[in-house]
Amino acid sequence: MHPLLLTFLIFGVPAAIALVYIFVRGTSAMRRYIVTRIALTVPMVIILATLVFFVMRILPGDPVTSALGPKGSPEVKELLRENLGLNDPLLVQYGRFLGNMLTFDFGESLIGAHRPISDELGERLPATLELIIPATAFALTIGISFGTWAAVRRKRASDYGFRLYGVVSYAMPIFWLGLLFQLLFGVVLGWAPIAGRIDALIGTTLKRETNFVVIDSIITGNWAALGSALHHLILPTLTLGIVLSGVFLRLTRINVIETLQEDYVTAARARGIRATTVTYGYALKNAMIPVITLIGLQVAILLAGAVLTETVFSWPGMGRYLVERISSRDFTAVQSTITMFALFVAMISLAVDIIYSLLDPRVKY
Amino acid sequence: MATTPARTEGHDDFKWKADLEGIGFVRRLLMARRWYRADWWFVAISTVMVVGFIVLALIPQVFAPFDPREQVGPRFLAPGERPDVEVLIASAASDITGVADLASEGRVSVAVVAGEPSSEAVRNEAERLTAEYRAQGLDVEIRLRIERYETLEEALAGVIAGDAVVAVGSFLAFADLADAFPELDQMGSVAPGTAAQSFTLGTNQIGQDVLSRLIWGTRVALIIGFTSSLFSLFIGVPLGLFAGFTGGKVDRVLSVLMDSLYAFPGLILAIAITAVLGPSIINVIVAIAVLYIPTYFRIVRGQTLSVKESLYVEAARSIGAKSRVILTRYIYPNVIPSVAIIFSVNVADAILTGAGLSFLGLGLDPSTPDWGIDLARGQETIQTAWWMITFPGTAVMLVVLAFTMMGEGLMEIFNPKLRER
Repeated sequence: MHPLLLTFLIFGVPAAIALVYIFVRGTSAMRRYIVTRIALTVPMVIILATLVFFVMRILPGDPVTSALGPKGSPEVKELLRENLGLNDPLLVQYGRFLGNMLTFDFGESLIGAHRPISDELGERLPATLELIIPATAFALTIGISFGTWAAVRRKRASDYGFRLYGVVSYAMPIFWLGLLFQLLFGVVLGWAPIAGRIDALIGTTLKRETNFVVIDSIITGNWAALGSALHHLILPTLTLGIVLSGVFLRLTRINVIETLQEDYVTAARARGIRATTVTYGYALKNAMIPVITLIGLQVAILLAGAVLTETVFSWPGMGRYLVERISSRDFTAVQSTITMFALFVAMISLAVDIIYSLLDPRVKY
Repeated sequence: MATTPARTEGHDDFKWKADLEGIGFVRRLLMARRWYRADWWFVAISTVMVVGFIVLALIPQVFAPFDPREQVGPRFLAPGERPDVEVLIASAASDITGVADLASEGRVSVAVVAGEPSSEAVRNEAERLTAEYRAQGLDVEIRLRIERYETLEEALAGVIAGDAVVAVGSFLAFADLADAFPELDQMGSVAPGTAAQSFTLGTNQIGQDVLSRLIWGTRVALIIGFTSSLFSLFIGVPLGLFAGFTGGKVDRVLSVLMDSLYAFPGLILAIAITAVLGPSIINVIVAIAVLYIPTYFRIVRGQTLSVKESLYVEAARSIGAKSRVILTRYIYPNVIPSVAIIFSVNVADAILTGAGLSFLGLGLDPSTPDWGIDLARGQETIQTAWWMITFPGTAVMLVVLAFTMMGEGLMEIFNPKLRER
């Protein structure tokens, strides 16, 4: 099975089951919302793809010249241009670009063995997901719990401490945080490896099924590989997670503070309900509604952070692939990778909106 | 004794909201603390930092001890480490100041320590200078007679005894012995460009001074931060005003476009733009400017929409004010304070993105003194040289912190309710 398709199935099947469940059990308003929201994803994807396409085309600079360098002869350039379809009218190229996107046929790499881009992305996408999923989980745990804590203990020492954490982690360049972790835990203390997804020797023993190293090692029962993979995950996850957690912490804190000032909270307190019940049972649930949306908007920070984290830790994901292919001037690979990122953004925002509609049934289109 | 009634938070809340309406910029800043205990020291500290960085960026040559692009010392020197270079040691009474002065002395005897690199260094230096003189058409030759000694102490004693005119030895070893030979002076390093001085923050792998690059890096960072933010401001604000004020189809199209741009990961778009445009500081500025247009657009549009509905705009309209007048006299002044706040935070974001781009090796010429480039270089030698990544990263963090804190502080003072950027 194609690796890219497999990755989509791993995430798509559970998502589809959940969606069907909501659809069957949910109210009619919810059903209408979900249908509308899915329909609205189409123009969003098209706009993002168009953005990518025109940024890559309209700007000055010739992909063929940059791929072949100054030494390429005019005939070779012309041939390559013809093969890439760059001689066609812009609209034809645009239509073909959208069509190819639907079938995930991104063409072939301009360099090296000229492998199909979709094969290469199929190897890279799981690596990126394997990095950002634990990082997001970490960031959500830290951000929401400490954000609530800071809001409850507002204007006290712990609140200032958490706020400082939020501000500093926001200001800290993520690649620098990664470098500092490498320096401290990798070089000075020697606790964790500083590059790659898995130990090279152990990696050769691992049978690649899904390209998710953790999943592969579990389904093949290769525990040494699992240990190595988790060991390699520690530092990149912490790096990406800490930077994200600062943002989540700030968002949670502000919204919980606002919710705690609502009348119904005061009313609940007046009736003598325990403070923890009021905070976690009443306020937090409502405060989470805007937080979910705002967290969904942070996917930009997440992906940009993933690109930098992957570069620092030599993590063979999509971000590092993008940077590598830019330096080797592989135009098709760059365009396809950015398109994949755009699709990713659209999917996340769809998922966030659906979760939002579950939490807040008032939302309507 | 009169007791002051305990003021409830709600009462305070009401009071400053009422007072905030008719008051000017400076008074608002000063009164904010009294009203609602706004963290205005936040603003004070960050303003000092911002001004400091701007001064550094304007006149780096005053603060930087060396040229950031030149090799000024040995490679990989740790912060404060005294480099061990070969120095020329001569009697304090002699007028020798360097190897070049040996030319007039005929065949001079030089005391060296056996087995140390000093004899080779001084020989090479003499050959190099001779070749230089020849190239200038002068018939001058430095001819050395090397006298070997077992230790530097013996070599120095040899100079005092008159067996050799000068001695060549390790700088660090001589520093230990200097007190024992008060009649000798160290004349300077044998090879040019490797002065026997230490560097406050060390040197990198090509012998550039880390501190000087740090200071000059301020200029690059602030140029990128300010110009790109100004670009996005000058595009985003008018577009936001226009879209919010006219509404209708134009507004809807612009909003959808800007929302898509906003949702897209900025760094990745900037990577794409710089990859297509090619490396130069202008292209980095353009790429970053494009990313932040939606930030201004969204805020300005939202504020325009709400101000447009206010009573005084309606009043102005009813007495026949033209759209242009309403836009420039009524709406624009209400939108500007929040634009100033976003600008400050935006500069921080732009600096962060710019550093990220150059860390990835995109956008800037590798010789530019830039923090991102220095960090990328530092990563190559992370195993041995901790100082090469520690200091540029701290600089990025402090600049970003200063601008963010200033923005947040101002936001809290001017509009405590406006929190979402």
